[in-house]
Amino acid sequence: MSTLRNLFKHHKLEMVMVLPLLLFILGFTLYPVLQCIFYSFQDPVSGAFPTLENYRVIVGNRKFGDALKNTILVTFIGLTLEMGTGMLVALLLTTKSRFRGFFRAITMIPMGVPTIVSGVIMLYIFSSNGYLNEFLYRLGLIKLPIDWAQGGLRTLLMIAVADMWKVTPLVIILLLSGLESIPADVYEASAIDGASPAQNFFRITLPLIKPFFTIALILRAIDAFRIFELPMVLAGRNTMFLGTYAYSEYFDYNNIHASGAASTILLIVIALFVFGYILTVGSREVDQ
Amino acid sequence: MKTVRQTDLALVKRTRNRKELYRAFSRSIRVLFIALTIFFILAPILLLIKISVSAPQDILTQHPPFLIKNFTWSHWRKVLAAGHIWVPLWKSIVVATFVALFGIIVAAPGAYVISRLPRKIKYGVLLAIFSTRMFPEVGIALPISVIFVRWGLVDTNLGLILAHLIKVLPLMAWILTGTFDSIPKDLEQSALVDGCDKVQALAKVVLPLSLTGMAAASILCWLESWNEFTYAVYLCLAESTLPIKTYYYVRRGNWFESAAYAVFLTIPVMVVTFLLQKYMRNDYLSGAIKY
Repeated sequence: MSTLRNLFKHHKLEMVMVLPLLLFILGFTLYPVLQCIFYSFQDPVSGAFPTLENYRVIVGNRKFGDALKNTILVTFIGLTLEMGTGMLVALLLTTKSRFRGFFRAITMIPMGVPTIVSGVIMLYIFSSNGYLNEFLYRLGLIKLPIDWAQGGLRTLLMIAVADMWKVTPLVIILLLSGLESIPADVYEASAIDGASPAQNFFRITLPLIKPFFTIALILRAIDAFRIFELPMVLAGRNTMFLGTYAYSEYFDYNNIHASGAASTILLIVIALFVFGYILTVGSREVDQ
Repeated sequence: MKTVRQTDLALVKRTRNRKELYRAFSRSIRVLFIALTIFFILAPILLLIKISVSAPQDILTQHPPFLIKNFTWSHWRKVLAAGHIWVPLWKSIVVATFVALFGIIVAAPGAYVISRLPRKIKYGVLLAIFSTRMFPEVGIALPISVIFVRWGLVDTNLGLILAHLIKVLPLMAWILTGTFDSIPKDLEQSALVDGCDKVQALAKVVLPLSLTGMAAASILCWLESWNEFTYAVYLCLAESTLPIKTYYYVRRGNWFESAAYAVFLTIPVMVVTFLLQKYMRNDYLSGAIKY
């Protein structure tokens, strides 16, 4: 207690400086999150707390089940595509070439495009009279246009690809910084031992960039799970995800309790990811 | 003796040929991959620009052409003449500017204190603050929207500014802590020895040295607010920002308006990202590796 008082006495200025930031985060981030959890356990009619009624209602709702399934699937598909492509492009970017700087600048462009705009662009590509259908038609692969927003796996694939365009640059940056952290003499040593490119990749590159890979994976999982803008633009109300389901419960049905329950479930999943992330990053920080 | 050397030479030549062939092959594969990647990255953006300057018969057809056939400025002229764009544009600019301003005022002093904490505590605090950015926004936006309805802050600039600060402050604190980390403690201490008090040392030594970092952080946060969609969709009912207006045209199925608005939305972001690229890679993104 006395040490705490000492702290206040000697660091009055510092306390005053840090206070607005902390108060804002407490009042406008932590408090709303708690409030959201509170809504989810509050009875919509009587206001009694706590009750599992809201969870029972949304779990029984087919739309919620679909939203949960869609979210998990789109995360899985999207992450596979992004990590695969990201790895490939990052490897291409490490090979020495005159145009490397140029190529690197190009790959970062999608990061500068607002998400809502990338949604608009993907709408032109994936709509039924859009450019992907036209491309497939000209190749002779399809006769009639495909309705990509119709629902099911094709819609999830559309969302995953649309998301991938925008976020793969982040994956590339993370993996690239991992690749560049590998000292060149490791490869020199493996070259002396006569390692093949495949051996180089699986035995040296992959294990050494594992922490970067993990961080990219977790960060992407967090963002993919709370995907919101792209489904709002591309999928309409047919294919829901956890985020858009929570939005729709609030705006279409004015049900803050169901919306809170969906958000809380989303929050729990993300908290698990964040926890994994802090463990990974935290251990790295201590290592350094 | 001579024959032996000739067969040797032939052998060397053949292996060299094979090696060169392999190298040429792997190189052309690489070039092909690079070309494909560039195509996939650029084609969507070019498509957006193309739609905003194509005549309707090029777009509203079952089989749209890939190149511009009938060029027209009419959509742009219509969007600008109709004037629906100015109100959201102004709102977006005002909100983003105040977000950047308030963000600096609130985050910079806090970030300074955090950066002077002992190492282990510092990373704990930073990670805790930064992980709030990973919370699902729909979960925060819901109570915020309910509270703001009660306070009469829905559809106001102030409400949206406060909501955007939720997203922006952690990022700003993160970047600025990095900035203050790079200013040596000795400088302040020598100012203290020379007779400044703490506030003077901050104002005369730390502040001038951190100005570039603050500028970069506020520009990035300006962009975050400019692009922001989720909080805006919860808090804008009548008066919308540019992203929400774009979404409105998307919902109405109006391709040309949405294309023009989308281009409008992208231009400042592209320009700033391009100009700041060097800076972002060094400071912001080295921080990004950790977040």
